[in-house]
Amino acid sequence: MEYILKNGIVYDPVNEINGEKKDVMFRDGKIVNSVSDSAKILDVTDKLVMPAGVDVHCHLAGPKLCVGRLYRPEDERKGVKPKTDITRAETGFSIPSCPATGYRFSRMGYGTVVEAAVPPLEAKHTHEEIIAIPNIDIPPLTLFGNNWFVMQFAKEGNIEDLAAFVSAWLKITKGYGVKIVNPCGSEAWGWGGNVHGIDDPAPYWDVTAREVIRALAQANEMLGLPHSIHVHPNDLGHPGNFPTTINTIDCMKDIKKNSEYRNQTIHLTHAQFHCYEGTSWRDVTSGAQPVADYINKNDHVTMDLGAVTLDETTTMTADGPMEYDLYELTGLKWANKDIELETASGLVPFIYSGRNPVHSLQWAIGLELALMVENPWQVALTTDSPNAGPFIRYPRVISWLMSNKRRMEMMDNKEVHGWAAKKSALATLDREYDFYDIATITRAAPSKIYGFEDRGNLSVGSLADIAVYDLEPNNFDPTVNAAAVENAFSNALYTIKDGEILVKDGEVVKVVSSNHVHTEVQGFEDQEKRILEQIMPMFNKYYTVKFENYIVHDHYAEPSTVYKVNASK
Amino acid sequence: MKQITLTPKKFSSIALEFDELIPDEIYGWSKEDFERYEVPVGNTRFPLTDYYEIEVEGEAESPEEVKLTIDGDAGRVKYIGCKMGAGEIIVNGDADLQAGAEMTGGSLTINGNAESYAGREMKGGEITIKGNVREYAGTSYIGEWRGMSGGKITIYGNAGKQLADAMSGGEIHVHGNCDILAGIHMTKGFIQIDGDVTRWPGGQMKNGAIVVNGRLERLLEGFELDGIVNDPVVEGREFTGKYIKYIGDIGVNGKGSLLLNAEKNRHHL
Repeated sequence: MEYILKNGIVYDPVNEINGEKKDVMFRDGKIVNSVSDSAKILDVTDKLVMPAGVDVHCHLAGPKLCVGRLYRPEDERKGVKPKTDITRAETGFSIPSCPATGYRFSRMGYGTVVEAAVPPLEAKHTHEEIIAIPNIDIPPLTLFGNNWFVMQFAKEGNIEDLAAFVSAWLKITKGYGVKIVNPCGSEAWGWGGNVHGIDDPAPYWDVTAREVIRALAQANEMLGLPHSIHVHPNDLGHPGNFPTTINTIDCMKDIKKNSEYRNQTIHLTHAQFHCYEGTSWRDVTSGAQPVADYINKNDHVTMDLGAVTLDETTTMTADGPMEYDLYELTGLKWANKDIELETASGLVPFIYSGRNPVHSLQWAIGLELALMVENPWQVALTTDSPNAGPFIRYPRVISWLMSNKRRMEMMDNKEVHGWAAKKSALATLDREYDFYDIATITRAAPSKIYGFEDRGNLSVGSLADIAVYDLEPNNFDPTVNAAAVENAFSNALYTIKDGEILVKDGEVVKVVSSNHVHTEVQGFEDQEKRILEQIMPMFNKYYTVKFENYIVHDHYAEPSTVYKVNASK
Repeated sequence: MKQITLTPKKFSSIALEFDELIPDEIYGWSKEDFERYEVPVGNTRFPLTDYYEIEVEGEAESPEEVKLTIDGDAGRVKYIGCKMGAGEIIVNGDADLQAGAEMTGGSLTINGNAESYAGREMKGGEITIKGNVREYAGTSYIGEWRGMSGGKITIYGNAGKQLADAMSGGEIHVHGNCDILAGIHMTKGFIQIDGDVTRWPGGQMKNGAIVVNGRLERLLEGFELDGIVNDPVVEGREFTGKYIKYIGDIGVNGKGSLLLNAEKNRHHL
């Protein structure tokens, strides 16, 4: 089937197209140069056209979500929407049902959403949930930062064996890249502890976060994976944590990148949670400036925001000790799980309120980071969904970034506590994102960060993943119309995925299976085989499952998009 | 004043749902509007007239002026008075699940028994149940830690398990007996039980008060004896006679009060 999206105002930062009126043509799921006379015309005259959204970091599939839904029925009753002829019933707000997750991303014009934390032991479950989530491509990131084998290799400085392990485990879990969460800290949680800073060793293993991060980064670059290491540093959510954040990215400075497409060797995730100055919640202030300054001076790092949206939500992370701290702080219900040789995990509901001083400061820091980091190609929009807020609030964050007036209004009208203005620099920042910047941080930069050459852009040959919004950029001022911006980005006029119209006028009109997107390293097979033989005694001794049942078999990951990586390049 | 009377004419074994038929919604409805209305039944809807004779008398300018009577058994009608904010509903028979749930005002009278979840997450208004209630009256939604916060529930019969889970305000008076864990997770509010209680009132309560005028079988270990009090005044209400007062639940550093009629509960000392 051929289509022409006619006369839209196109923002495609990869191709440096900044609000040009032009047609976008596609055939058989790909963007093309020209189409025949029989192509179907979709008239989007003067409407906002972008590549479909790419989300770099979201928790949307896997056991954490499942536990969240099970233990938060009070969240499930929010967002109930009856079934239609096309869609299944929807439930949930911060942890929506699987179908609702797909529909809601699709309605916002998103095409690819990264599941940010998959313990290998739970990878099967993650892929099972991806099967139940429609309409978006989902690359899962596999957790490595507290893995016993990884810690052993890192301690020995054995990068080649570590690379072979990573390569094998990405295949076993059908994962896309390397995720690191509170390295050594989640392992310390097995002893009821945590680590602080990047040089505090894990109990028993006697290896530090610095060693683990550096070793995994070197392995990542040895394999030439399309994405860099994706790091949730130590000390998340602790006042005074910003030096840990800077130390984490700084310890990567000398590591050489082995990828043509991306620029970074480390992606700092949900940066908002890692930019606090002070010694306690009483004297905490924003630490966004020093982190932003560092990022502005260094191009080996990219980051996503983890912007707080001031909603009641559910926190969920492999950072087990942090969730315990949060439980102690809130007294709300807490779920905790030990993932054998791999990581920890925890969940606690959380109510971010504009009346609360700390939450208001967190809200300000998320926005500060977006406004202080000068190069939008180093920024991706996230809310660490659902941790800082549910993903359906991305359009609201967009509206805040585009309107200084709205931000000031919120601070002036006391929609947020005085700490937002007093303890951060947000009130002094009058920078406003334009549509090109928004397209960069929600499409172009995320795809570049992940090494996706085939999406996040409208280049000929790329996937026909396109979003059209009911805004006319040439007749519309987003700096004074925050509500309209939010509404438009929440309800795409069209969402096109692989050349198929999935959303029209904000409603899902077609449901398709999501692709499981993963990498497959080639040229490392011998090393993988050797390493598997080497670690199998320990695997058999300590895991509660047999290796045969641990592997994610092909039928768990269909349909799939596989990025083959040539390790010898 | 508008009087609406629904007289049952056909029984449905699949429950009807009445949360749309609250004074806040129907004060402007004519008889024809009711006859056009389709009521949710299971996963579909059928005309209300299939199940009820409908009488409408008088006019109402606001929900306060509405009196809705279900003149017969509503033992398979869920959500009666759910989310109502004003007016009056009377059920001359039993009511199914969730009667008066999330009510914010007005009054609901059930002249028979009520199923579980009566008055769930109630915020205001008054519920009177002449018969018994099953489990979770005046409680929170499943999983929710914020329960009933206002209003009053009076139960003339017996109450089931976990009465007023996570209560944070308002008042419940049970004239009959009460099953386990009344006032569990309670943070504020007042519960009076005139009959006997099986066991464990106030489990994990942080604050608020529970008065038991009957005999309590088993007390939770998290309650510490505070002393014997004479003619206590609890949350502004006066009681006559001697009561054994406990403070708890110490398992959660609770400061709640549990008062047991001294004469009937000597066995705890």
